[in-house]
Amino acid sequence: MAGPQTLARRQAPRDRAWMASGAAVLLGVVAAVVLPQVLELFALINATVFVSMAVLALSLALVWGFGGILCFGQAAFFGLGGYAYAVAALNFSDTTFAVPVALLVATAAAAVLGYIMFFGRISDVYVGVITLTVTLILFNFANSTAGDEWRIGAAPLGGFNGIPSTPLLNVPGEPGAGLAPEAIFRIAVIALAICYAIARLVLRSRFGRVVVAIKENELRAELLGYDVRLYKLGVFSIGGCMAGLAGVLFANCVFVSPTMFSLSYSAQVIIWVMVGGLGTLVGPILGCILLQMLTTWAGTLRDINPNVILGVILMAVVLAVPRGLLPSGIALLARFRRGPPR
Amino acid sequence: MDLAAAVLLQAVAGVATLLIVSLGLAVIFGMMRVINLAHGEFLMLGGYATVLSVRAGASVWLGILVIAPAVVGAVGFVVERLLIRHLYGRMVDTMLATWGLSLALIGGVTMLFGDSVSGFSAPFGSVPIGRFRISGYSLFLIAMAGVLVLGTWLVLRFTRAGLIARGTMQNPDVAATLGVSPARVYAVTFTAGAALSGLAGGLIAPVSGVLPTMGTAYIAKAFITVITGGAAILAGTLSASALLGTVSTVATFLTTPVFGEVVLLIVAIVLLRLLPRGITGRFLRRAL
Amino acid sequence: MTPLLETRAVSMRFGGVLAVDQVSLRVDEGELRCLIGPNGAGKSTFFKCLTGQLKPSGGRIFWRGRDITGADSFAIARLGIGIKTQVPALFDGLTVRESVVLALRRTHREAAAQARAMATLERLAIAGLAERQVGLLAHGERQLVELAMVVAPEPELIILDEPTAGMSAEETARTGTLIRELNRRHAVIVVEHDMQFIRSIARIVTVFHHGRVLMEDVVERVLADPRVRDVYLGKSAEPAGAPVPCHNTAPA
Repeated sequence: MAGPQTLARRQAPRDRAWMASGAAVLLGVVAAVVLPQVLELFALINATVFVSMAVLALSLALVWGFGGILCFGQAAFFGLGGYAYAVAALNFSDTTFAVPVALLVATAAAAVLGYIMFFGRISDVYVGVITLTVTLILFNFANSTAGDEWRIGAAPLGGFNGIPSTPLLNVPGEPGAGLAPEAIFRIAVIALAICYAIARLVLRSRFGRVVVAIKENELRAELLGYDVRLYKLGVFSIGGCMAGLAGVLFANCVFVSPTMFSLSYSAQVIIWVMVGGLGTLVGPILGCILLQMLTTWAGTLRDINPNVILGVILMAVVLAVPRGLLPSGIALLARFRRGPPR
Repeated sequence: MDLAAAVLLQAVAGVATLLIVSLGLAVIFGMMRVINLAHGEFLMLGGYATVLSVRAGASVWLGILVIAPAVVGAVGFVVERLLIRHLYGRMVDTMLATWGLSLALIGGVTMLFGDSVSGFSAPFGSVPIGRFRISGYSLFLIAMAGVLVLGTWLVLRFTRAGLIARGTMQNPDVAATLGVSPARVYAVTFTAGAALSGLAGGLIAPVSGVLPTMGTAYIAKAFITVITGGAAILAGTLSASALLGTVSTVATFLTTPVFGEVVLLIVAIVLLRLLPRGITGRFLRRAL
Repeated sequence: MTPLLETRAVSMRFGGVLAVDQVSLRVDEGELRCLIGPNGAGKSTFFKCLTGQLKPSGGRIFWRGRDITGADSFAIARLGIGIKTQVPALFDGLTVRESVVLALRRTHREAAAQARAMATLERLAIAGLAERQVGLLAHGERQLVELAMVVAPEPELIILDEPTAGMSAEETARTGTLIRELNRRHAVIVVEHDMQFIRSIARIVTVFHHGRVLMEDVVERVLADPRVRDVYLGKSAEPAGAPVPCHNTAPA
């Protein structure tokens, strides 16, 4: 019964995940090498912003698309990662410590919030409300930290101005020598590729499959003996960690400020994931980059406000293409492949 | 003694404002289980309608009490027909679509009117309470909140429309058995909720200033108040506004407005953790 | 001898409604018990108290003498209790095989889980559906898939809530045979409605009425009892073909 046919079939999905991850890392390396040669500085920095946002989109793609958790506040962990990085980097002269500190803070925050929500058996809409609320709290709080009394160690929090002098990543062991934009772009792209790879592999693991099952039917998962609260907490924390990483990257190409906690970013992440395709990993990445390019372009328009464009797109996608562009595109392609009915 | 009275009145005014701002959303959510994230923009449109009609020469009262709700009610009707109607039962999609609508409205209004603050000064001047003065408009808001609650209660309790509405809330098939199409009930409900939001926008215009993003300051609070309140429209909104509004005002009084906001949000989270279905999910469940 | 599962005066109250009223019963190891009663009699609510979906308002539940009242559903499942709900709770987006593997994966490694999953599917004669997506299956097939998920981890007690709902006659017969076969190795509690089915599998039957236990006895005596017939509108307790008097004595 477990002959070569079934064995091969059984291995296929696992192999596919490794293959996809490998391909992603490869693609990342290629982009990291090629693009800085091709793009000019301004475009490169823009691209770095896009890539850091793509990591944020990926985090929500995992938590929402596969975990079924509608989190309205990925921006909270995004901002916390950024702020933690800036504060740590200003306090220790070497940014090599700042990165793990930032990831730790973001993950811990997600774990605490996740524990409060999931172990309180709060679900669906209410998770959305609470995560939105927390982000708002952080936004309000960050905005109010102007003045010298608001500092953590050597780092002033800066109120609504943020921390304009966010230190850039330096080569480990050489504090003070911030990396050039090209290097930061490379790091961002590789980070995106690695995050994608990790996401694929997590989803292929037993943990990931239980998470997806919980999204499909939480009751059945629980009746099979799985403590769903723990699994949701796990995937939520991983998402928080990724969002924190996005914050670190963002801090290195823009700077840390309360806008990282704004409703605007929370909204945009959700839009990217929805437009790109809820339930896929690649879709939200593509959707994010495409929409950001669109928004940047729309910002240059004199006559139309970019919010109008974004809003109309969102409404159109929900009405016409609710599964998102990537899944619908794939379905359309499949129809073409099948050809005309004989 | 005066201080206590003044603070108390401030707190009640805070509760009243929260209630006024949340009622439209509560009607729509309580009746249709639709989360309208463009609610803040309905407020904003009400504010603009008032300001523009005042500029065109109408009296302030006409602007706030008649024009604002009429205009935004009409907008609500159109939105329900073109957008919401296609998304019933799809709560997440409705949230996203109304979020898109919110963005589009903010952008559109910015394009039309720029993003500077308009407004008009609050009528009624200030009223003395012992050594302190409290704005007369605050008292007016308290009165208006009372009127709105009473009015909504009367409509729900004593009119046929209210009966159908309450029935449909419990079970959508009720409307059909009473000979009214559920689609019509939803259209009317959404329009009514929008009109209430428009009215609210007009009412808070003198206090908050009218600009394209004025809604964003209120959407979160309104949203949280409605969810914390639970399924019952009036009892829920009333109890949640009372609790959150009081806590927030007291915190603001003791510290800063920012912390007042923060405290409100934290209390809401704690409340939701303890009462996952909102206040009226547990207490006052039979109430309107 | 300690019963496998025992409830003592379990009650469930929703606001003003007492859906389950002081129900005490005990199921022994290896027993096959049917819980019957018309709609609204409280069987499904009682079922949910057993599965942890509801925490009883009163009374206690014991598993092998251990108090498990109010335990979470996953904890109850881990004790070795397999649960099949009235509305099939399935993973629509997964394939049949993936679903059954998941049922085993908590306690088995990948290879063993795959092997046992296929074995279970073959035991239920649905191995042909292995690669089909659950969400696209017919209702009767879905019921069997859910049974497969429940049975695969070899639980000590299996609780089934209306397992034949929506099934064809052939599938119902298959399910009856399966339940009898399962009963050789596991204790089974079946909550059911369909009197023909009960007659074909039952030994001891507990009758629910208005949230209370009306009677508990061997199936022949229960089916012959006039009170039971009253409670059931007279319809299903009649042998097939007899005319049905329409006296409405069932609870609203």
